[in-house]
Amino acid sequence: MMRGMIGVFAELDSTVEAIEELKHKRLGDLTAYTPTPRHELEHAIEPPPSPVRKFTLVGALSGAIFGYWLAIWGSNYWPLVVGGKAISTWIPYTVFGFEVMVMVGALSTVFGMFYLAGIPRLTMTVGYDPRFSGANYGVWCECAPEKLAEVEAILRRHGAVEVRGES
Amino acid sequence: MATLAHPDEPRRPNIASADVQLPAVKDYEQVDREILQILQPTKAWFAGLLIALTCLAFGIASWSYQIHEGLGVAGYNPPVMWGVYIITFVFWVGIGHAGTLISAILYLFRAGFRTTIYRAAEAMTVFAVMTAGLFPIIHIGRPWKFFWLIPYPNWRLLWPNFKSPLVWDVFAITTYLTISTTFLFVGLIPDIAVLRDRETNPLRKQILAALSFGWRNSEREWRHFARAYLFLAAFSTPLVLSVHSVVSFDFAMGIAPGWHTTIFPPYFVAGAIFSGFAMVWTIIIPMRRWFGLRHYVTLNHLDASAKMVLFTSLVVGCAYIAEFFIAWYGGVQYEQDYFWNRVFGQWWWAAWIMLTCNMILPLSLFSQKLRRNPTWLFILSIFINIGMWFERFVIVVPSLSHDVEPWQWSSYVPTWVDYGLLIGSFGWFFMWFLLFVKQLPVMALAEIKEIVPPKMKHKDPHHHGGH
Repeated sequence: MMRGMIGVFAELDSTVEAIEELKHKRLGDLTAYTPTPRHELEHAIEPPPSPVRKFTLVGALSGAIFGYWLAIWGSNYWPLVVGGKAISTWIPYTVFGFEVMVMVGALSTVFGMFYLAGIPRLTMTVGYDPRFSGANYGVWCECAPEKLAEVEAILRRHGAVEVRGES
Repeated sequence: MATLAHPDEPRRPNIASADVQLPAVKDYEQVDREILQILQPTKAWFAGLLIALTCLAFGIASWSYQIHEGLGVAGYNPPVMWGVYIITFVFWVGIGHAGTLISAILYLFRAGFRTTIYRAAEAMTVFAVMTAGLFPIIHIGRPWKFFWLIPYPNWRLLWPNFKSPLVWDVFAITTYLTISTTFLFVGLIPDIAVLRDRETNPLRKQILAALSFGWRNSEREWRHFARAYLFLAAFSTPLVLSVHSVVSFDFAMGIAPGWHTTIFPPYFVAGAIFSGFAMVWTIIIPMRRWFGLRHYVTLNHLDASAKMVLFTSLVVGCAYIAEFFIAWYGGVQYEQDYFWNRVFGQWWWAAWIMLTCNMILPLSLFSQKLRRNPTWLFILSIFINIGMWFERFVIVVPSLSHDVEPWQWSSYVPTWVDYGLLIGSFGWFFMWFLLFVKQLPVMALAEIKEIVPPKMKHKDPHHHGGH
């Protein structure tokens, strides 16, 4: 049974128009494809803001705390005692706090991106065409079987160079 | 601005305007076709790789000899116990700075000229830091003990001193290498997907599918990607500044004359960006010529980067003059004597190579004609690379050879083992870069497509989807 209809477009504005009509008629779940980020498509889809920043914040705070803790704990556990000097001091240990903050914060940002974008994807599931990484735009509409014909008609009317159903 | 065409003038090929940065690049197909043709190996590429491997073999032979015979075969001569290895370490860390500057800082500042050069600069960063990381290990003489620098619980009461700049270095360089590699790889994911979708060989297609993590160019993926990329850039920006500041602390925390100065962190960071841009030119200018990419790396791009080089050269020059001034104004005899010895005494030749290459020759970039002359920029980049290596020589050697104790003043002459490892480091660096150029896109396909006007059904820019 077909799960949806995919349209391959050569022009950006045609893609945007097709998305706007499909969205207006609420025919199914839409996924837009583009070889490069385009604000026009983002405006047409109107997605919520990316929550990647939450991963960044948690990672950066954890990293900073771990960096300071490592230096303080290491100094206290194996102390290098120098007369007149504190065993642990926060000024030089800011180097560790900062570097580990950047490392963990950046890595958790990438982890957040992977998690939210749903990658790694081990298999190429339905609703993709290799032309989307080259020069073409695309719209994948996952919908109920009785709406497939209408979706196909909309995609063709807006100038899709190829429309096909995928199951 | 002289580099932009007037809006009323008919547009000439390859002359940018405010809205069209790459006028000779018409569509996305052209971007993929022209940049991916670089991946085809050529005779010149094999010749370059052979030269790099020969240099690397010389380096490996020198290192093997040093491991067998001991550190005495290097040119160390007490009290000069830092030499070519530390100089070359600082040199390669510096080279590694321009990549992240171009990819992160210029990204945050929305500098358009970065788009076509940042991938090569990022790759250069990763390979330069990989090269730099070898030198502290070579320098310690017993490379199999390198892990003693890393803090980990053990029962030998061996725990690094967290107040030592050398331990800060381990953390800074490790973080920089990790984040630079991550930044490079994350940016590559959409471009690897392009390779995957065009690949016909099943095995290579599977490898590329795994490396692209199943990227599909969906709006959802791009949305999270763009946000993550922005945060990576925001993290990398202070990281660039911190890493060479930390490297400068290796010197500034010491009490040798010429080292113990607060000017070192900004001085090192400016010098690193200066030398890194020069190395970008050394790589990019031949590439744009050999691979026919003059319409991607345009004269406008070279002109803009030349202005960065000129600016950082002026900062570095100002730092050199400030060092002399502070030595004179501070009134400390050892400092004054040291700087005199550096410029007019024992090390005059090294200091004048540094001053000529880093301060005097870059002044030519005040001329727009020379800023837009790729041949001159390439020649200048070689001089700057040499000058910046000598800058580190001038920082490391004269301070140690002319310390506060006159009875131990001495000299330093590198041996063939030192030079072998220096040459080997260039072989190692260029081997990685040449392999990268033939395996992955050296220019960012997705970002270049972002500045190429998309195909439109309606020519009216105010219609849906207009840009």
